[in-house]
Amino acid sequence: MRKRKSFFLTAITNSGLGLWLFLAMFPFFWMFLISLRTPVDAFSSNPTLFAPVTFKHYFHVWFVDEFWRYGINTAIVTLATVAVSLTVGCLAGYALARYGGRMGFWLLVAALVFRALPHVVLLTAYKPIFYEMGLWSRYEILIIVLVAINQPFTIWMLRAFFRSIPKELDEAAMIDGCTRWKAFRLVIIPVMWPGVITAGLFSFILAYNDFLIASQLMSGDMTTMTAALGNYMGQNRSMERLMHGIAGSVSVTIPLLFLILVFQKQIVEGMTAGAVKG
Amino acid sequence: MKAKTFLAFVAPSVASMLLLIALPLVGVVFLSVYQSYVKTELREVTTEVPLFGGQTREVTRTVPQPVLDDNGDAIFIWEYVGGRNLREASEIEGVVEAFKGPFPQDEGLGGKLNHVYKRISNYDFWSALEFTLLYTFFTTPAILIIGLGVALAVNRVTEGLRGSLVFISLLPMIVTPIVSSSAIFWMFLDNGIVSVILKQLGFGQIYFLSNQISTRILIILYGIWFAAPFAFIILYAGLQTMPRDPLESAMIDGANAWQRLRYVIIPHLTPLLAVITMIHVMDAYRVFEPILVFGTSVYANSVQYLTYFVLGVQDNIHKAAAYSILTIIGVVILLIPILRHTFKEQKAIN
Repeated sequence: MRKRKSFFLTAITNSGLGLWLFLAMFPFFWMFLISLRTPVDAFSSNPTLFAPVTFKHYFHVWFVDEFWRYGINTAIVTLATVAVSLTVGCLAGYALARYGGRMGFWLLVAALVFRALPHVVLLTAYKPIFYEMGLWSRYEILIIVLVAINQPFTIWMLRAFFRSIPKELDEAAMIDGCTRWKAFRLVIIPVMWPGVITAGLFSFILAYNDFLIASQLMSGDMTTMTAALGNYMGQNRSMERLMHGIAGSVSVTIPLLFLILVFQKQIVEGMTAGAVKG
Repeated sequence: MKAKTFLAFVAPSVASMLLLIALPLVGVVFLSVYQSYVKTELREVTTEVPLFGGQTREVTRTVPQPVLDDNGDAIFIWEYVGGRNLREASEIEGVVEAFKGPFPQDEGLGGKLNHVYKRISNYDFWSALEFTLLYTFFTTPAILIIGLGVALAVNRVTEGLRGSLVFISLLPMIVTPIVSSSAIFWMFLDNGIVSVILKQLGFGQIYFLSNQISTRILIILYGIWFAAPFAFIILYAGLQTMPRDPLESAMIDGANAWQRLRYVIIPHLTPLLAVITMIHVMDAYRVFEPILVFGTSVYANSVQYLTYFVLGVQDNIHKAAAYSILTIIGVVILLIPILRHTFKEQKAIN
């Protein structure tokens, strides 16, 4: 009796799980599949799993629409954003983990409020200010904006991580005559990499996935891959254009798949670090 | 750590946030109380209009022309308008009017409230707020339930499979939102895979994207699909920290699966459910990409998309600033419970 019941339960949970996995995967699977087809096959009234394969949409997107330029822009912007936000964030996160005063608390509260702000609020101010200053469509601007927007989340996460490194470690170094800065450099930096990689991943994903800010602050050849996808949107585009958009979207997705494959453990740890530990 | 050292360490981070988050917020307030325009004057302008056979005729008309300064640049005027932008953006007068009536005859309180609701939701900001709240209201419980279900199911599966299950489950959340909303959008086009399959199954051609209800349902379903992985990962991690003893003693006492879930597992996960709700409500308030991709802000709008549209498409920074102020007020209201919780915790530590 008991056994049959648990068999029944397993059947239910497993079919539910199967349904979820299908739903989670299918839209991407289908997008990938139709990106390799001619428009007629992609949106046919009799959909099939196999259809003639063509790479012409990819060719058009990457070489005629010059997606490679946007790919380079994305690489520059995301890598620089990750590097700068980690450097700045590590210093702040470490200090927040070791300092017990009121200022630290207020800084964290301010960061919490900043994190909740919709980005378009900031964009409303950036647009006229940067336009007046003539700072338009430049890597530096997009990078520092993304770094600043990333900071609230980064310092919360790194603070949680640095708190898990025992205090005694750097205190011992300071008793031996190190300054705070030297203790940080010589003792903390060598052991902080797991947490830094995790925080870096989230900075990367935020900068890479950002559409709103890049689409408004960058124009023409300077835009990023994600923002360039905006060129293909809208309901009244031709079928060809739609197919190019699909090929572009798949191109944007592939690097992320590798990222999840390689860093799955760190991503899961990073998501739970903030929530589970409070 | 000494206060001085602390300040030195946090200085770069604080500087970046002050300069690019706090200062722009002040800027938004400033923009919202001003109105700017190019100074114009009415002038007689004479132009030559071509007629037939190479002949021309001079036409003199009075048209508004920009006033130029000594350098030949147009003069830009900033005018202080106080709360006018804010009043216009929130359509506060219209809202007050809606409450005053007149109401259709022979209707009870419910009918009157419905009437007020219909009139208010005609205004841009209020309809955007309406859908943002609907989105939050429907997605939040759904992601908690689905996230918990998937977490429990994955927890029963053999260890070796779990890695790939987590990988697949992460996809909707990590893949660029603009791409994932597009992937869903393409499936529901009139000749997309879902529409076509439903047609083959005999449901007839369904035009998902050309009416309000189905568009709204699709965007909400997208929101659930997008955010459920987040709930799943956190609850799954919570299940790993679950002590075995209470579960085993519940089993010995003869509790069935449902009772174990209801009285042992869910109480253990309650703090996590609260954290997920908090974070998801903040994120749902910012919903943007699906509205942009589904391209039908007539049917479903969001607070962030409305501001984006006014800023980027209509290019009206002052109106956008007014919407931003209203957005910030909303954020502050949302944050009150979270901030109160944080303050209480801080007090408990001190």
